[in-house]
Amino acid sequence: MTTKATITRLATGVPGLDEVLGGGLPELSFNLIAGQPGCGKTTLAHQIMFALATPERPAIYFTVLGEPPLKMLRYQQQFDFFDSEAINHRVRFVSLSDDAMTGDLERVLKRIVEEVHTHGPGLVFVDSFRSVVFAGESAGAPPMSLQLFVQQLGMLMTSWQATTFLVGEYFNEAHANPVFTVADGLIWLRQSVQRNSMVRKMEVVKMRGQPTLPGLHTLRIDRSGVRVFAPAQVVATGGAGAGTAAPEARALMGVPALDEMLGGGLPRGYSLLVAGPSGSGKSILASAFLAEGARCGETGVVAAFEQHPNQARNPVLVDLIARGQVGLIDSRDPDLSIDEIVLLILTEVRRRKATRVVLDSLSGFELALAPTFRTDFRESLLGLVTALTRAGVTLLMTSELEDRYTDLRFSPYGAAFLTDAIIVQRYIEVDSRLQRVMGVVKVRASAHSNELRLYSIGDEGIRMGEMLPDQEGLLGGRPSRKPRPGPPATGSEVA
Amino acid sequence: MPTPCTEDPPWPEPLRGRLAVGADAEQVADAILALWAELDQALNPIIGHRGVAALYNRSLNLTAARYPWLAEGHQGVLAAVDLGALQAALSHRVPAEAAVGGSALLQSFHALLCSLVGASLTDRLLVSVWDQPSGAAPAQDNAS
Repeated sequence: MTTKATITRLATGVPGLDEVLGGGLPELSFNLIAGQPGCGKTTLAHQIMFALATPERPAIYFTVLGEPPLKMLRYQQQFDFFDSEAINHRVRFVSLSDDAMTGDLERVLKRIVEEVHTHGPGLVFVDSFRSVVFAGESAGAPPMSLQLFVQQLGMLMTSWQATTFLVGEYFNEAHANPVFTVADGLIWLRQSVQRNSMVRKMEVVKMRGQPTLPGLHTLRIDRSGVRVFAPAQVVATGGAGAGTAAPEARALMGVPALDEMLGGGLPRGYSLLVAGPSGSGKSILASAFLAEGARCGETGVVAAFEQHPNQARNPVLVDLIARGQVGLIDSRDPDLSIDEIVLLILTEVRRRKATRVVLDSLSGFELALAPTFRTDFRESLLGLVTALTRAGVTLLMTSELEDRYTDLRFSPYGAAFLTDAIIVQRYIEVDSRLQRVMGVVKVRASAHSNELRLYSIGDEGIRMGEMLPDQEGLLGGRPSRKPRPGPPATGSEVA
Repeated sequence: MPTPCTEDPPWPEPLRGRLAVGADAEQVADAILALWAELDQALNPIIGHRGVAALYNRSLNLTAARYPWLAEGHQGVLAAVDLGALQAALSHRVPAEAAVGGSALLQSFHALLCSLVGASLTDRLLVSVWDQPSGAAPAQDNAS
């Protein structure tokens, strides 16, 4: 008969952070927020504080020798979460600078304890911890060692039933700081700078008693405060936009002949890669896909990563967006991460209960990403495809393809194997004309046509034409007329 | 004893309700210092002793441009508020002048804080100070 202690997990109020922490912040935990100057530690601490502090569970924010409190208040109030009304009420700021200046850690600790006794806070923040250390050092040999200080503080705060945060400036990771051992939770903020791009990242190095999401997670700080982007796969499990479709259900492409070639449309929940050279009509096909959805009463989402934002869009798509049948994600934020994009798309998918998603195009998408993510673009792309298909949507991605007639390629990123279906478009030269051909390369676990058919693009969109059975070498770009009495074609299937 | 002001309560906003008509310079100085003590009490825990002193010294500097006598005898100390000098300066003026100068100093302090942390937060921080006099003051009966 064991009655285990129940650990309540608090919702931090920072979007995405609870997921990364593995289900929220354990109450009464003793946590450390560490990182270089300017990486958002104080902002994170304030945001958590304003979200968690209530009249029954007030917070005390101790400022030590770091940022002058006046300045901190000046800048922090710019964030939406900052609530002036809360101050001296459910949130209390206490300056310890006069005590810290003496360098006597014992005195600092005593002041903290006094204030905690007086106000009985449920949340305690000490900012910055680094300055406590400095104060101790500057006073020569301190009567109380840092480790003892932290250990005492941790013990006292837990006994006083306060969830505590030490906000620390840059710590040397290599140096095994004793503080790390004492803390229950350690949140590390980083800034990764590559060329002109800067990406903020967070790592939950430890959080006692719960399974945190390992690795670095990107975050963004704007007027609303900190937003953490939990990994795409985790976000996707939050619930499907459309529910899981029956395996045999198909999504029509809006080009009847192409649906036939696909074996009756694209299986729902599949990801389709449309690869082709510039101008081959990939975006037009994507619009037809969304328009067909709209015709059947479905909604869609298009994530556009165009290099020329002002370029006139496909009128069909413009119309769909204007009528609200398609949501447009056109993020101009710099230095995007895959996780952020997936979150943007999934939020829009859920909001509109969308069933079809178009990502146009992978090339533009890659450019929109911060350089630091481009190196592992394939992994990230896999994450994106997995997350979106797991959410139950049918995904169409376009990929610019350099025309190379010496080899058969579908995507410059090796994205082909990630997708369930592939349609390839090509230019060919026939009778001194530039013609287009299209073929279905693969549809996973489904029969499909192996035809390579001519098509044209007119006002009404894509019109499929005939095969060119008397030509061969189409994929080479320069087909030649087959000799009349040719042997039966063998091995021509592209599996 | 300096002659009290002949007009009806000329006391500037911060002092309204804290001074009776006909208060002398000593009383004006006391009222201003009492107000200051409250401001200090409200802010000291939050921005620290030095933070308050820095704001005070800046306010004094700004106000002394209009009322140079306010800074008389003031020791330009970095980390402290020289209240003795302020009290002396105030007590040596006629009450109306002391009230106007002292209030200007407090208002300048208030404005400085507002410019740094915004009006709503300033109001929030000083709610205990500015609320008190208005509670005791007669509603703006003399406003024309």
